Amino acid sequence: MSHTRADLEIAAFAIDEVVEGTLTGRDGATLLVASPQLAVGAGEPALAEATVEVVRPGDRVRITNVLDAVVPDVRADDPTATFPGVLGGSWSGAPRPRIHRLDGVTVLPVCDWRAAGLVGPEEFPPSYVDMAGPGQDRSPWGSTANIVLRCVPARGASIADADAAIRRAALKIARTLAATTLDAVTDDVRRVGTLADADPGLPAVCAILQVASEGPLTDTFFDGADLRDLMPKVIDPAWLTAGRLTNGAYDWPGVRNTTANYQDLALVRALERAHGDTLRFAGLILAPGYLDTAEAKRRGAEASAALANELGAAGAICTTFSSGNSHTDTMLTVRALESRGIATTALVCETNGGLTDHVVEADCLVSTGNEDELVPAWTPDRIVGGGDGEAGRAIAMVHYLGSCVETGDGPWTAVPA
Amino acid sequence: MTVIHYVNQFFAGLGGEEAADHEPVRFDGPQGPGRALVAAGLPIDLTVACGDDRFALHEADCLATLLTWIEDAGADVVVCGPSFGSGRYGYACGVLARELGRRGTAVVAAMTPDSPGVLASEGAAYIVPTTAHVAGMRDAVPLVASLASRLASGEPVGSPEEEGYLPRGLRVNIRSDELGAERAIGLVLAKLAGDVRTEIAPPTDRVAPPDPLPDPSTALVALVTEAGCVPQGNPDRLPTRHANVWLRYPIGDRAELAPEDYVSVHAGFDTTEANRDPDRLVPLDAARALVAAGRLGQIYDEFFTTTGVDTPVAVSTRMGQEIGVELRNAGVDAVILTGT
Repeated sequence: MSHTRADLEIAAFAIDEVVEGTLTGRDGATLLVASPQLAVGAGEPALAEATVEVVRPGDRVRITNVLDAVVPDVRADDPTATFPGVLGGSWSGAPRPRIHRLDGVTVLPVCDWRAAGLVGPEEFPPSYVDMAGPGQDRSPWGSTANIVLRCVPARGASIADADAAIRRAALKIARTLAATTLDAVTDDVRRVGTLADADPGLPAVCAILQVASEGPLTDTFFDGADLRDLMPKVIDPAWLTAGRLTNGAYDWPGVRNTTANYQDLALVRALERAHGDTLRFAGLILAPGYLDTAEAKRRGAEASAALANELGAAGAICTTFSSGNSHTDTMLTVRALESRGIATTALVCETNGGLTDHVVEADCLVSTGNEDELVPAWTPDRIVGGGDGEAGRAIAMVHYLGSCVETGDGPWTAVPA
Repeated sequence: MTVIHYVNQFFAGLGGEEAADHEPVRFDGPQGPGRALVAAGLPIDLTVACGDDRFALHEADCLATLLTWIEDAGADVVVCGPSFGSGRYGYACGVLARELGRRGTAVVAAMTPDSPGVLASEGAAYIVPTTAHVAGMRDAVPLVASLASRLASGEPVGSPEEEGYLPRGLRVNIRSDELGAERAIGLVLAKLAGDVRTEIAPPTDRVAPPDPLPDPSTALVALVTEAGCVPQGNPDRLPTRHANVWLRYPIGDRAELAPEDYVSVHAGFDTTEANRDPDRLVPLDAARALVAAGRLGQIYDEFFTTTGVDTPVAVSTRMGQEIGVELRNAGVDAVILTGT
């Protein structure tokens, strides 16, 4: 099996400082943010309120009810096609796409669904980013300047409409911020896409990116469409970088795949770096997790393994989406791959009670950390995002956005104690 | 540094078995073995105590009182025991340690490795192993004091092998120099080269199926579920996910589970359809029909329930073992276990 890869340029602009002002713009490494202007620009009928606030590393702030993280990107060759399918435009037909990206800044949409009366108590777990204190290093976004978009759904708006509005608003702000670079140049440009021919003697390794899409607030989107009917398929890794895969799933934040993860997936970058050196990057498979029935799980696992086989993979790396149910999808996929003679490793998080599921074939696992470990109590000066933020209480790692993400994007692992 | 010591009625000087129903009580400063801890360099600010039977029979109330006192005092570390080989005392130490651990409070305990308190603590405490009898006090106290001092002052504690405490069965988080992606590539390349390594090596536990029932028409059959089926209103607050408890509810002479009486609080699936007919969670109607048809003997007059969402295998194993003991003691021959 072969597939073509798009050529894509990523031009990165480092931001060292974010300053609130009357106009949104950029002065070298300083990003100027007009918060009220951005909030107005985010206006959506399904939202009663949208406010923007800047928080910075070191601020004694806990951001609560965090839904997602988005890296500011803009399609420099066609800004209207940024985040295709969500903000408009489409991917197809792009002659030579170029993305301008801000480094060091993240857009964090937040919404208190429960306060809005749209979900019940305990339906969604608390989701935090701490900008200081012992939890700061648990979320990768504790060390970036964050543009927090706080949204309040309009009375009577459906969950689906409110969520779609919030996702659009967050992506728009990300595009607006990155658009401050449109007339600028940078030396930090990398190309993704076509890979050079590699020594055929090197082992071919593929990656399987697991996502899930179960309904409003638990969806993943490709070109703006949910992936509820996804069957495993080979995709161009450059599509992720281009912002075609976006997150709308807000279950356990520690193991949540955010849009930012998809925009710059560490696993793809690492495989592309290793391509031609220690391995051949055989391809990327997008696969469903959180499947409802034993038969669907078996079918999904077998289909992923069959695709890996067609890609000629000798080795495979499986990522996992969230925790619980999806770990069974991962384990069955490992078993299906191993049964075809494909050496497999999988990324999974742990709990205080071990793994949620395990098969004997899963003899080569990467731990992305123990999601149950308590982070020492901390009392922030301010809560941004609503609620009491459990200030002054020890909080389990799993409540920190992206702390134990099972895509390979995090540094955490767990060891015996 | 604020250090609090938990002891039972005997070590608090309240009496032996005749004082085992003693309600929770607190004393300023050390009591009993607390004085040995002080002599070993660990100041004791407050001692809290409870009768062993009182704790066992009124666990929730006793815990609430003890936790309130400990929280009010602002404990940096709590020492439980040593409880040596005492089952009830060890259990109380373990449960208290578990609850304190959930609140982020450091705990050091001391007991025999086979004490029920070890399991009850769920890894929340650093447990120093002791002999079964109080003669082991002299050996245990220095390590208990040392661990507690360091935990209270935020100093690092070494591994179980280095320090001598019982492995907690926990996995603690550390930052790796490499991202997970880079480690995954390293591992898969090593595996392709024949060097199979892993960062997680879970125990493999394979359960052999039991023999078929010799005669189902005479069997006493229990209904057990992880579907989160509880009486309407969830009176015992079964967690909707991450449950580490199971509950039981009487069936009595009910022919079925009516939707106005029962509900699923399970957070792992859409419960809309199931809640229209809770018999699909706990199939009492079908079981009654099989009894009426003479194909099953009797239905046990309680059903057992928990919520199976994000439940680690170790917790599931423990709950299964606990339910199994109950059912075996009740003479139950077989179980219909419904999952979601």
